[in-house]
Amino acid sequence: MIEIRGLTVAFGPVTVIDALDAVLDAPVCGLIGPNGAGKTTLVNLLSGFVQARAGEVDVRGTPLLGMNTARRVRFGLRRSFQTEQVVEDLSVWDNVQSMLDHVPHPKDQADVQVHRALGHAGLLDCAAVPGAELDLFRRRMVEVAKALVGVPRLILFDEPGAGLDERESRVLRDAIAAIPDAFGAQVLLIDHDVDLIAAICTQTLVLDFGRRLALGATRAVLDDPAVRQAYLGA
Amino acid sequence: MTPDSIRRERRATRLALLRMVLVVLAIGTLVPWLVNAYWIKTLTSSLALAIAAAGVALLYGQLGLVSLCQYALLGVGGWVALRVSHGLHWPFEACVLAGGLSAGVVGMLAGLPALRLKGLYLALVTLMLAGGFQVVISATGFPDGGAGFLGRISGSERLMLPRPAIAQDDGPYFAYVAAWLAAMLALLEVHRRTRAGRSWALIRRGEAVAEGAGVNVLLYQTWAFGLAGVCAGVAGALLAGAVGLLDGRAFAASESVMLFALSLIGGAYHWVGALVAGLLLRAVPSLLVDLGVNGYLAMAFFGAALLHALITAPRGLVGQWLAALQRLLAKGRP
Amino acid sequence: MPDLLPFLISGLGVGAVYALSGVGLVVLYRSSGVLNFAFGALGAVAAYVAWSALEHEWPLPLAALAAVATSVAISLAYGRLLAPRLAERETTVRSIGTLGLALVVLGFTEWFWGEQPRRLVLPTDAGAIEFADVRLTYTRVLGLAAAVSMMAAVGLLLARTRIGLAMRALADQRALSAILGIRVLQVDTAAWVISGAFAGVCGLLLANIVRLQATVLTFLVIPAFAAAIIGRLSSLPVTVAAGLAIGMLEAVAVLVPGFSPFRTATPFLIALLAIVLWRDVSRKA
Repeated sequence: MIEIRGLTVAFGPVTVIDALDAVLDAPVCGLIGPNGAGKTTLVNLLSGFVQARAGEVDVRGTPLLGMNTARRVRFGLRRSFQTEQVVEDLSVWDNVQSMLDHVPHPKDQADVQVHRALGHAGLLDCAAVPGAELDLFRRRMVEVAKALVGVPRLILFDEPGAGLDERESRVLRDAIAAIPDAFGAQVLLIDHDVDLIAAICTQTLVLDFGRRLALGATRAVLDDPAVRQAYLGA
Repeated sequence: MTPDSIRRERRATRLALLRMVLVVLAIGTLVPWLVNAYWIKTLTSSLALAIAAAGVALLYGQLGLVSLCQYALLGVGGWVALRVSHGLHWPFEACVLAGGLSAGVVGMLAGLPALRLKGLYLALVTLMLAGGFQVVISATGFPDGGAGFLGRISGSERLMLPRPAIAQDDGPYFAYVAAWLAAMLALLEVHRRTRAGRSWALIRRGEAVAEGAGVNVLLYQTWAFGLAGVCAGVAGALLAGAVGLLDGRAFAASESVMLFALSLIGGAYHWVGALVAGLLLRAVPSLLVDLGVNGYLAMAFFGAALLHALITAPRGLVGQWLAALQRLLAKGRP
Repeated sequence: MPDLLPFLISGLGVGAVYALSGVGLVVLYRSSGVLNFAFGALGAVAAYVAWSALEHEWPLPLAALAAVATSVAISLAYGRLLAPRLAERETTVRSIGTLGLALVVLGFTEWFWGEQPRRLVLPTDAGAIEFADVRLTYTRVLGLAAAVSMMAAVGLLLARTRIGLAMRALADQRALSAILGIRVLQVDTAAWVISGAFAGVCGLLLANIVRLQATVLTFLVIPAFAAAIIGRLSSLPVTVAAGLAIGMLEAVAVLVPGFSPFRTATPFLIALLAIVLWRDVSRKA
């Protein structure tokens, strides 16, 4: 569960997130909004790349903003980036293991955890393939697998399916939707693909100009006339 | 639990490591039988320098960091080894370790301030260090048996660094240096294959990515710097042992620049590249002198080779050879 | 307190060359993103060309012209033929390329002219003026005048001309500048020419002040790097001030008891100090 209270993020005179209040408690939450609404900034804030000017954030009751990036990762925070960040010279296995290296885990369980994550993402058959030889779909799945090692608590996906075709998107979607049950982590998903959001997110937050435009059950939010006007253009 | 492909990869890695160690040790034992006394001395220097080159290659290949002070750190290691041996009479191995660790610490301290800045600043800072070391060491010289901090003594009482009991003659000493080379290369390779190497790869991909994975970027960069320093220090101590003393006038900044250039030319991504670099730095110039070619022409040639390596062959000579070998093997397969 | 003035004035001579070199380095870096490690080597070859010309009884202006033309030609050749091949790589790699150029030029120079140290004696050495107990040869005076006018000229070029404006634009946003129609190639050419010319003049002056030996001259660029670092590779006025200060401090360091053999390490110490003291400068991109 993510509790956000009075969150303000500003870069100089530009306020990107403005006194945001939100409680996100669904297993898979969506985060949508027009370009420049502050979605990626919110993810950057949650993962520690950006500082807040004011406000508090609690994840599962633990205050987040006092921790540095490394501590948040150890706490169980994971994120993907808009452009995939697969390391070219490491194998798929090593790419995922490199995530596990820096979070506490029982030494003899390392292989087990990597295996499980790769299995969930359907990457076991290409475990030894170097990153450089992967196509975009496999790269996107590696990003998913990386988030699953070392007891994740909150996983932030930033447009994880950009560039994938319909079949690939469905595989990605199913993998993400199954994460809360399989790994016990909450997922926050940014995407412009409304169908994806509608299909797997039970709760959605809509941002516009850094402010909360709507928050609630996904279907209700998507039907909200204010949301339709600001974002869906109807 | 692990898939077969991963099990195979891990076994292949272990075999490659073993192969590397065996090849280097074989070189150590066989070569003295094949070459004359002059060449044994030259090749001993080449092997020692290969250790230093491996350190530079680690920094560049794993992290894209340019260190232009490796030869100076070699001097630091040699200085400490000589001082410790003459002053405290430690056994040779302890002197080498002392030299290695001191150079490692100096390397870390040197790199630390610059690691927060753009990569180019690191190249400049290390160049400054090399220049500064050149001035200092030509004024103070290397310890040769005297008292006091600098350990200098005059005239006929100069002491040589005593070699280890098992490696008194040139042939055995060559094998001894080869053993150290094998050990250092193995140390670096083990780093590459485990958590350190994976973290370095993440940093290479991007600092944000690395931080997002919980990597302490500064720690891992500093550690790499320390490792490179240890390589330089060990090489310095071994060089001191080869000749018995070191000359303070032979540590110009240009030597560090050449070492860097040749490490790239040899190939910064494979251990054989370090061997090639050591040969290029010492053995090839000796060969050219034998053939009557001016050493400075070699320098010009190496400059051109560096440009070539940067523009067309980023993985260096060894990279090109390996690629050619792979193509050849692929053709051989049905 | 011993009279510092003579040392300061003599240090000013070398400091002016450091400042000039620093400017040559920073101008090129700002326009093309390349830090020219071969700056000193280009100066060295220029100095040797002048020496040969003077040995053949050429008049000084012609010899100087030949010298500067040589460094400009090599600089331009590298900038137009080789540097573009590295244009897509990161800054560090592009600058390491100039290390290769430095080795080529240095190696060739030492081979062609031989490594015995020489003096570059210029006809202007004969006359001198007395200033505060210091004897300044006409060469030094001319050198100082040349340094000042070249730095002023570059300052004016960057501030007042179109190409100067283009150079400043390129420094900030190379790709964007190209899209906006700024003729990147033209600006690049100008930058390499200017850098080469500065290198040539600095080589001549240093060969006269210090000695004519290729390796020494090549690595005498390091104090100029120190000045450029203090100017954070961007500010010309700070680079100039730093170069002058380094030259003067180096000269005055002779007076510090026990420090004399290490005097030439002064620029390195200053540069190291500068780096250590900035913890907030230009975080790695």
